[in-house]
Amino acid sequence: MSKYVIECSNVSKTYEGVVPVHAVKNVSLEIEDDEFTAIIGPSGSGKTTLLNMIGGLDRPTSGSIKVNGHELAGLSDNDLIDFRLKHIGFVFQSYNLIPVLTAKENTEFIMLLQKIEKSKRDARVEQLLTEVGLQDKMNSRPSQLSGGQQQRVAVARALASKPDFVLADEPTANLDSHSTANLLDIMARLNKEEGITFVFSTHDQRVIDRARRVITLVDGEIASDERR
Amino acid sequence: MLLKIAWRNIWRNTTRSVVVIIAIALGLWAGVFASAFVQGMMKQKIDSVIAKEMSDFQFHQPGFTDEFLAKLFIENGEEIRLEVAQEENVVHSTGRLISMGMIGSSRKNGGIKIVGVVPDDEAKVTKLNEAVIDGEYFEGIKRNPVLISQKVADKYKVKVRSKVVLTIQDVEGEIIAGAFRVVGIYKTDNGMFDEMNIYVRQSDIRKMLKIDEGLHEIAVLLNDHDFAEPLATKYQEKYSELEVKPWLDLATGMRMMVDMVGVYIYYIVGIILVALLFSILNTMLMAVLERVKEIGMLMAVGMTKGKVFFMIMLETVMLTLIGGPLGLLISWAFVSYFGTNGIDLGGAYTEVGFASIIYPYLDNKSYLEVTYMVVIMAVLAAIYPAIKALSLKPVEAIRKI
Repeated sequence: MSKYVIECSNVSKTYEGVVPVHAVKNVSLEIEDDEFTAIIGPSGSGKTTLLNMIGGLDRPTSGSIKVNGHELAGLSDNDLIDFRLKHIGFVFQSYNLIPVLTAKENTEFIMLLQKIEKSKRDARVEQLLTEVGLQDKMNSRPSQLSGGQQQRVAVARALASKPDFVLADEPTANLDSHSTANLLDIMARLNKEEGITFVFSTHDQRVIDRARRVITLVDGEIASDERR
Repeated sequence: MLLKIAWRNIWRNTTRSVVVIIAIALGLWAGVFASAFVQGMMKQKIDSVIAKEMSDFQFHQPGFTDEFLAKLFIENGEEIRLEVAQEENVVHSTGRLISMGMIGSSRKNGGIKIVGVVPDDEAKVTKLNEAVIDGEYFEGIKRNPVLISQKVADKYKVKVRSKVVLTIQDVEGEIIAGAFRVVGIYKTDNGMFDEMNIYVRQSDIRKMLKIDEGLHEIAVLLNDHDFAEPLATKYQEKYSELEVKPWLDLATGMRMMVDMVGVYIYYIVGIILVALLFSILNTMLMAVLERVKEIGMLMAVGMTKGKVFFMIMLETVMLTLIGGPLGLLISWAFVSYFGTNGIDLGGAYTEVGFASIIYPYLDNKSYLEVTYMVVIMAVLAAIYPAIKALSLKPVEAIRKI
């Protein structure tokens, strides 16, 4: 078993077109278990593209990405879906909860896809929503929750499958200061107390300040990799 | 959970879902009612043909129905009739002597089919007595009574107790004329039939035809029309020198008409269903395109393409399961109401042998067939939007976030 949760070796991504766009260029990085990492950089620096490739949502043009030692390149589209379900948690910028389901059902949904039995699902949903401070909003639908509350449900959902790590793409971009601070507190605590690995793409200074490792991308290349 | 998501998804846009449900219900209603109307019209036609014209099956000498030659009679006709009457499914039977002749009044002459009947037997088989609208059914005039239709009465300007002259050819080819008096006037739903047929007592025409014994036609009425073909086949084998034909082959063009109507119903239902297909397809496609991000997210977090496909299909099936029974209920109510009260076409089709009041009718099998077709069509309509959903790439959906 690799000691790294994520290993990227010479990963590049080029979008073909009239003028090819080299979004990510020869990126190599390793992320260990329990890390709380922010990938930062200006718009168009390749943060989201790199995150999508690490999450198995996009495929690199060249190079290799391994998650817990599993090479993603060899997986078919369907295998990738299954791999994401079992190994990766996602938090999106716009929360992306299922609008017709309550907070409880949104969190439970991933476990249902994993065919986890009901008693275990119920216990974990309650635990997760309590951890993100939404135990009293379990039966609220997304439209009845604030942006910050929705993003906390999204974190609970991402953690429901007990993933190897959580990828969060600009998770605080739509949140106010109070909600951002609250969300970061929750994620930092989960990282510290439960050893959950978080990888963010962000240009939010508040997130960068809390990260224990900051990888800076400029023009698709790693400009710096700072551990704190 | 998929059931729950699909169910709640269809109520995200209540107006749209209600429109689809109404479209399905109306589509089903239109399909069922159009089928019921045509089937009812045909059933009445068939019942009328069997009850008033053909009975379930008939015996003739080969070629008799081509030219109605008097010499082509069945010598042991009465014997055969009594034998057939013993059959379990036979309700009544009657023998007839028939001649194509002329009818003449003081105003006009013309060709006519003269049917010699035993009044009591004929009343049991064709209920001809019930069609009498003026005068009596072979009562009140002792010598040579003739029962004519309203159309014939109008055409020849005669009425009850008027005298008419019937001219026929006997078995030897001699022309014989006889004076008859109108005993009654009948009217059926079939204008063509009325125009062609008049009735006299068999004993009266027998003398004119010079046929001491024998019949031109034996008509048999059964308790179930479905036995007509097998029984006709059975007696055709036994009396191979005769022609024994079920009603479907006796009525000119009837088999073709029944087949054609069957195809016609499928065309009508088909056109309605194609319209329904595009209505559902359009709505479901909108529903999918509105949820690109959401579907992309579902696939991103681990929902397989199969489950996404199933979810979209499930939404359509649920809409169909609401609209379908609703449509069936409306259809059943319409068919029941008009099946009892009828739809008055004002005599538009009586000239071509259809009743003026149509009573829509649909058997249970046809209800099921239309329902199956609507459900299948709805599911087919959902396939393209579902495939469209599958073609989404999670990463592209997420980029839209």
